[in-house]
Amino acid sequence: MYELSGVRKVFADGSVALDGISLTVGRGEHVAFIGPSGAGKTTLFRILNLTLRPTAGRLVFEGQDASGLSDAALRRARTRIGTIYQQQNLVGRLRVVHNVLAGNLGRWSTLEAAASLVRPRSAGQAATALERVGIPEKLYARTDELSGGQQQRVAIARVLVQDPDVLLADEPVSSVDPSLAVTIVSLLRDLSHESQKTLLMNLHSVELALHYFPRVVGIRDGRVRFDLAPEKVSGELLAELYAGDRDEEQALERFQDGKNPFGGACRPLPGFGA
Amino acid sequence: MARLPAARPSRAWALWVGAGFAALLLWSWQGTGVDLASLFGREGLRQIAVYVRKLFPPDLSAAALSAAGAGAVETFAISLIGSLLAVAIALPMSLLATRTLLYRGILFEGRRLHPGARAVRLGFYAAGKAALNVLRTIPEIVWALIFVFVVGLGPFPGVLALGVHTGGVLGKLFGEVLEDVDPAPLEALQATGASRVRILIYGVLPQALPQFVSYALYRWEVNIRAAAVLGFVGAGGLGQRIYVAISLFHEQELMTLILAIYAIVTLVDALSAYLRSRLV
Repeated sequence: MYELSGVRKVFADGSVALDGISLTVGRGEHVAFIGPSGAGKTTLFRILNLTLRPTAGRLVFEGQDASGLSDAALRRARTRIGTIYQQQNLVGRLRVVHNVLAGNLGRWSTLEAAASLVRPRSAGQAATALERVGIPEKLYARTDELSGGQQQRVAIARVLVQDPDVLLADEPVSSVDPSLAVTIVSLLRDLSHESQKTLLMNLHSVELALHYFPRVVGIRDGRVRFDLAPEKVSGELLAELYAGDRDEEQALERFQDGKNPFGGACRPLPGFGA
Repeated sequence: MARLPAARPSRAWALWVGAGFAALLLWSWQGTGVDLASLFGREGLRQIAVYVRKLFPPDLSAAALSAAGAGAVETFAISLIGSLLAVAIALPMSLLATRTLLYRGILFEGRRLHPGARAVRLGFYAAGKAALNVLRTIPEIVWALIFVFVVGLGPFPGVLALGVHTGGVLGKLFGEVLEDVDPAPLEALQATGASRVRILIYGVLPQALPQFVSYALYRWEVNIRAAAVLGFVGAGGLGQRIYVAISLFHEQELMTLILAIYAIVTLVDALSAYLRSRLV
């Protein structure tokens, strides 16, 4: 699905976000990315969804070198990659139905897109997607009147409508409470499992990553520190990954003391993880 | 990332700014020949009293009232059509005056614009900005004089003058609104594979429209007052009648017309304020 070799990203202000990432992700794989804030995980995801261009290195998506794609080919490739952001990145003034149907923007013509804002082109499709994420009653609500968790579900419904081959979720649960976090992570995992989508997720929470994903990649200072099955991710590796990040170190201590804040709700899917 | 500690504003700097402002004020006072004595001296006050006395009572004859009514309707129409024309000019031009739609910002990080293409786009931006500046910096009254010369006397040159000048004002404001929309939803739309036009329609405009409407309504309030003045150079409405009344020393009729302006400006202000309060 993805082949990255030596991907670097240096921003205009000179800060190095990614410093030589090499990584291969196969079709249908589920991978969690963990690491301290500022490690470059979000930048990596923006490069993976082809909205940001690497400064150096090669990014191959489905056998195509991304740097060689024309604008149109780039947009076609993007339609196959669905992104869920940390902030919900919805257009707050639009009704939920429009935000969900925005998943069609890569397919619709400009005229169809404009017409749909007047009269939703396929409200039924949006209703089905909202049903799958558990908020069918919000179809015609104004998006900015929804709670954070509900907006995150709208964002997931948008990705369902887009129906991509890859799902990128950039810290999808960092702004919701722990019980909802478990619901959303397992929802995303189950959805991508049943339709055999590749799922890549940035996670703030080591617990969720280790419990839900068969492969965990640790990123620090723009580099891959480890790339292992969760049972091989040792306490020392985690301590090293988060060294110097106080909040993270404390969360890690609690986790290693056995006080899993997610409790019994956090169990791996059969055939995945420990 | 290392950040410098916030700089403390220095007191000397504030003093210099204050002194500079005081000097500017003094110079302007001198330059404009402000002479309070001639305004509030005995002779000045007497002149005011004489003139005010002549204004009363307002001329409420049927002819004067119907003239004031017709003028008010005409002024209202000039301001309304002029403002709509301004929006029609501003909308397309503001797209040209928006950097984030043309050549930089979040929508361009995924592709490297060819240097030639970038130069062309920069050129469009500069031309759009320059055109809006020309429209905006020429005052309505000058535009009105030009259009009176082109299309003749009456309300039509007034409409054109308001439309063109306000089009420049709104184009600049609309462009700023477009550049200020929240980029996060745009990035998400781009990630679904949407083209830039579709992102504009689906992500940028929905965010910008309420402010567009609010600015347009506000400019309508400004335009109703401007429309009353444009008549002085022959561009129709109450202004034209006021100019005639002043020239012919018809002070009581002038008072009727002033009341008509007061009524119509208040009406439009209230209407616009109500409509803007409904937009949230």
